[in-house]
Amino acid sequence: MTERRDETRIEEAIARLVAEGRISRRSFLRRASRGGLVLGSALSLPAILAACGIKPQTSSTPPANPSGSTGGAPTPIPSPAGELDFANWPAYIDIDDKGKYPTIQKFTKQTGIKVTYTEAINDNEEFFGKIQPDLEAGNQTAYDLIVMTDWMIQKMIRFGYLEKIDKSQVPNFTANADSLYVNPWYDPNNTYSLAWQSGITGIGYNPTLTKRAITTFDDLLDPAFKGHVGLFSEMRDTMCMALLSIGVKPEDATVADVQKAGNKLLAAAKNGQFRNFYGNDYYDELANKNLWITIAWSGDITQMQLYDNPNVKFIVPQSGGMRWVDNMAIPNKAAHPVDAHMMMNFWYDPANAVPLSEYIGYFSPVKGVPDLISKDADAAEAKGDKATAAQLRVVAKTVNPTPDELQNVYNYKRLTEAEELAWNSVFEQVRTG
Amino acid sequence: MSAAIRRLRWAVPYLFLLPGGLWLLVFFVVPMAVMASISLQTGSLGTGYTLSWNFGIYPEAISQFATQFLRSFEYGFIVTVLTLLIGYPMAYTIAFRGGRIKNILLLLVILPFFTSFIIRTLAWKLILADQGFVLGTLKGWGILPGDFGLIATPIAVISGLVYNFLPFMVLPLYVALEKIDHRLVEAANDLYASRLQAFLRVTLPLSMPGVFAGSLLTFIPSVGDFVNATILGSRDTTMIGNVIQSRFLDFNDFPRASALGFVLMATILAMVLVYARLVGSDELTSG
Amino acid sequence: MTATTMPLTATEAPVADYRPPLRSRLSRLLLPVYTALAVAYLFLPIAVMVAFSFNNPRGRQNITWQGFTLQNYVDVWSRPDITDPMVQSLIVAVVSTIIATALGTLIGLALTRYRFPGQGTTNILIFLPMATPEIIMGASLLSLWVSLGVSRSLITIIIAHVMFNISYVVVTIRARLQGFDRGLEEAAMDLGADEWTTFRKVTFPLIFPGILAAALLAFALSIDDYVITSFVAGKTITFPLWVFGVSRLGVPPEVNVLGTLIFVVAFLAIAAQVLWQRRQARRQLVPSRAP
Repeated sequence: MTERRDETRIEEAIARLVAEGRISRRSFLRRASRGGLVLGSALSLPAILAACGIKPQTSSTPPANPSGSTGGAPTPIPSPAGELDFANWPAYIDIDDKGKYPTIQKFTKQTGIKVTYTEAINDNEEFFGKIQPDLEAGNQTAYDLIVMTDWMIQKMIRFGYLEKIDKSQVPNFTANADSLYVNPWYDPNNTYSLAWQSGITGIGYNPTLTKRAITTFDDLLDPAFKGHVGLFSEMRDTMCMALLSIGVKPEDATVADVQKAGNKLLAAAKNGQFRNFYGNDYYDELANKNLWITIAWSGDITQMQLYDNPNVKFIVPQSGGMRWVDNMAIPNKAAHPVDAHMMMNFWYDPANAVPLSEYIGYFSPVKGVPDLISKDADAAEAKGDKATAAQLRVVAKTVNPTPDELQNVYNYKRLTEAEELAWNSVFEQVRTG
Repeated sequence: MSAAIRRLRWAVPYLFLLPGGLWLLVFFVVPMAVMASISLQTGSLGTGYTLSWNFGIYPEAISQFATQFLRSFEYGFIVTVLTLLIGYPMAYTIAFRGGRIKNILLLLVILPFFTSFIIRTLAWKLILADQGFVLGTLKGWGILPGDFGLIATPIAVISGLVYNFLPFMVLPLYVALEKIDHRLVEAANDLYASRLQAFLRVTLPLSMPGVFAGSLLTFIPSVGDFVNATILGSRDTTMIGNVIQSRFLDFNDFPRASALGFVLMATILAMVLVYARLVGSDELTSG
Repeated sequence: MTATTMPLTATEAPVADYRPPLRSRLSRLLLPVYTALAVAYLFLPIAVMVAFSFNNPRGRQNITWQGFTLQNYVDVWSRPDITDPMVQSLIVAVVSTIIATALGTLIGLALTRYRFPGQGTTNILIFLPMATPEIIMGASLLSLWVSLGVSRSLITIIIAHVMFNISYVVVTIRARLQGFDRGLEEAAMDLGADEWTTFRKVTFPLIFPGILAAALLAFALSIDDYVITSFVAGKTITFPLWVFGVSRLGVPPEVNVLGTLIFVVAFLAIAAQVLWQRRQARRQLVPSRAP
């Protein structure tokens, strides 16, 4: 009881601070760019004209660097090029009110590496489509370091489009990564990728409109909500949630299971149950009450509660939610691989992971971050800055998943090309009929 | 000098065509030819593609997505007719009654399109939201049932398309109307024609090149559109553009996506040729 | 009153003391009122955009009104992440419009004034880019560049924009060129003008509204293009690309500010042009009124 009152007080404090303008809205911006509109892959001309089978590229290892460094602050590694092209999603890195990236500036000061940071990634498949022709042709892409969602990392590994990571150059990862993010399902032994941030897909809903509490996935199929239910346009999130609702773990799902789950959705879709299939724009629809209940991401709902609609709720459905991890990776033939390694190493230093998490607020892969954030909160409190302290305490709570949340979330499945085609076909039926 | 020019007169049209034609050749025809060859290949991204001259993919693709094709043409047709009905009076007013502010008016028509289409479409989503300030108020007054929604309906998609393509209709119409000699209309009036008759028998026929151009500029792009269907529509309004997107993006199925694209292009071209015949057989071939 | 020498002026010149019946007067208002309403319809989303440029949202979404502020108009200048893409878009739009309009006008002239073998094929070639789905055009161009080993940049964007704009320019110009009375040109040449002077003084002014309309259309298409640009942009970020990316999270009000400012600037430019034209016209009238 007291805990809830504490939380309410914290939230009230935040709301008041925000209203007073003491916290800038940017300091609570979250990333949420997965799936949605537009853009696709293309082919490489020579590959096609060659008119013969194309072997997937084998990745080459970056120049091996024998001088390993021991944890802590990044020690200078020989021969970085001094430049780095880093592509990321929008609002996925801390930014100050002037539009500058303080942590990146810190990196540059420490290492002398000039970073060109572009928010070029809006959608996994769209970005894949843009770099795929170059990768297929064995060219350099424009980027040294990219951030992709776990299933896309698996897909890129399948095609052989990523450089192997030289662990000796990222000692901070070995020392500081939370075990949840080591040796993940999509990239055994972290051969090609290191986790960036993680989150949960569940269900968001507006209780004043649904008029009851929501507990499980099948609530999305309640005819009382017809026309006001949202699903994701992203195949994996939607199909996996549906699989869970028929009692199948996504990692074990066969194509027959997927067909069954798809038929369940299709029957409802034909009835007009679902308003539409959304990318990030589900946020608007939920906020402006066009949607009453929808698949959603945890961080977004927290956002909405703070700023746009305090009534909305987020749940991990009883049937199960999905856990996703976004990862840093190096595309083949990257021009500055050593610099890319140094940057990846940099983010696994808790000193740098903390400001990142304080800004983004999704789950951090670095150990000890919540405690450090609490320490920051204490420090702020000691200085008399109750506002920042309260803000930081909320973040400290959300930056790691609770055991409850972890209990009931599942991973995506590693798909072969044939399986991907099958899953996509089923979903296409649901989406377009 | 004039004698030299006269000798080379045959070359003039080709000279005029050369720069633009070359540009289109290199940057459109060649890439499209590659796409055509891709459509005839079989395989996948992982296993590689081989040129198997798989012409069967065309009827396959058509039958698989016949609904979306038909729907797209249906929407395109409705959008063209609506923009013509809405845009013709606008173009007429600007051309005939615009006077000194003609240019301002013309610019007012096109000015909204200097802002990003995302902003415009998001603004429409806001305006047409179920509980937004338009529908919400109407529902509050009891004029509309509480359940009524415009977003995620074909009406919203078509409205979005009409809105976005209105200038494409108005501009060519204006251009054709503006050059009509007013004395012809006056002459008709002098010959006891009513205003309506003068319009139907003088102005309208003379403006047909504009009607033709505007219809083309509206119909052709709107059939292939996918943005409005995505943002304002639902699963029942998916257009062929959405399908092609998905085939490229989600399936990495380049042969089928290319095939769908070519079917779309070919069908549109056929319709345009028929339309040109109806409007006046000279239109297409004489330019 | 005899006809004026300019064949293309507006004609309404009611005889003094004649008052048309009420019904006729009202019906004459019909068209202007309709047009005003239609323009208002066109501007409705713009009005929303302008209104929300003054909004002060606490969160990342600018979708509910949360308070008036002018701060956005100050902030936008210190946001290079917003203004840079806009500058890129403007450069692309201006350059590609100029090139596309020039190339397209030439093609339009060739197609309407001459008969030559290959005319039908050219016509079809002109229609095809308009009918092609943008994703296919974009993807195929990307393949072209990759196979040629050309990296994507502002130049490749401009090339793509010119490519898809040519068709729109040609179709618009043709609406103007069809039925063009060659008699005026012939008269000029009979009076001793050579081809170039005839073009400059007779042909060009007469087709200019068509060229202008085509250029406007091309500019609007270029500045708004997302799909094709996204494929061929490489690391360059144009305004639609940026807005698209950001719209997934919430378009900051500074974007509305930029949109509003562009709008205002364009409007002022036109108003200035019209006033200037009026002044020119007035200057021309004065001598002829002198007794």
